[in-house]
Amino acid sequence: MFLLPIRDALVGSTTFITWRCTMATVALVCGGFGFLLRTTRMKCDADDDMPIPYMQRTRDYYLALGYNNPYRWAHFDDVPFAPLTKPLAESRLALITTAAPYQPEAGDQGPGATLNAAVKFFRVYSDSTDAAPDLRISHIEYDRTHTTASDSNTWYPLAQLRQAVHSGRLGGLTARLHGAPTNRSQRMTIEQDAPDLLARCREDGADVALLVPT
Amino acid sequence: MGLVARHLEANGIPTVIIGCALDIVEHCGVPRYLYSDFPLGNSAGKPNDAQSQADTLELALQLLETATAPRTTVRSPQRWSDDASWKRDYNDLDVLTPDEIARRRTAFDGSKATIKRLQGRT
Repeated sequence: MFLLPIRDALVGSTTFITWRCTMATVALVCGGFGFLLRTTRMKCDADDDMPIPYMQRTRDYYLALGYNNPYRWAHFDDVPFAPLTKPLAESRLALITTAAPYQPEAGDQGPGATLNAAVKFFRVYSDSTDAAPDLRISHIEYDRTHTTASDSNTWYPLAQLRQAVHSGRLGGLTARLHGAPTNRSQRMTIEQDAPDLLARCREDGADVALLVPT
Repeated sequence: MGLVARHLEANGIPTVIIGCALDIVEHCGVPRYLYSDFPLGNSAGKPNDAQSQADTLELALQLLETATAPRTTVRSPQRWSDDASWKRDYNDLDVLTPDEIARRRTAFDGSKATIKRLQGRT
């Protein structure tokens, strides 16, 4: 019974029944049960320790909120593949991010900001890789419980890329980095944003691309 | 981003995605993916940890160099925490009361309205 998290969550229900391994372990404090509790806790951690099933969590979450039109993630049988044509040390890399330019007049976009739809963007943008543009992720549903969003290097690694160029690991960066909109509409991404990004990468002479979604 | 990667790749530009959601990206089908088992928002490594970020980028570059077929995923060996219980929390319905669900629905409806207004301008 210590090992079974039981969830009964229904839309409109007033009762949620959940047993967590941690709650079970807090309930009993007794030397004789100490070893059992420790092994119980270890098994719970092992059960947790797998990649988060985001598609299922997201479906369940929005159904619980009352939205009965679950999102259908893109899926393809065939996947293209283009091998490198030159060593990375001779290649120019394009950086593509889903982060958005900071807009001072558009509300809180800093660490701890709640979802800020006002800074969402709907067309590809580009900015210079010579500077360090102020890009944020407040328009995205990242993990706000465990992510501080205090270090922009975690969502656009321009500094690390410059270091890679400096060390000779990479031949260079394109003159511009690019921002990719986060569209619920896959059609917009396929028909508008992806061709736009391809055109900009070609204009900049990109040999390879690093894509950093948040 | 999977759709973008596919389009660039199909047009001759080799790509690698770095991210923290394994199922979504693999479900799409992308050429190369470096997966870090971190909370969403840390695709390029741990915050304020230059070594983690350097290691993450290096793995991505190696993947560009070594992959020989599409759908190649490499999992970063880095761990966010020895305690994996953080993984329970994202969109965790177990802890949401009816009032909280209602509040979140209202907030989400507000976001959708803002998005529609902005899209009307672009």
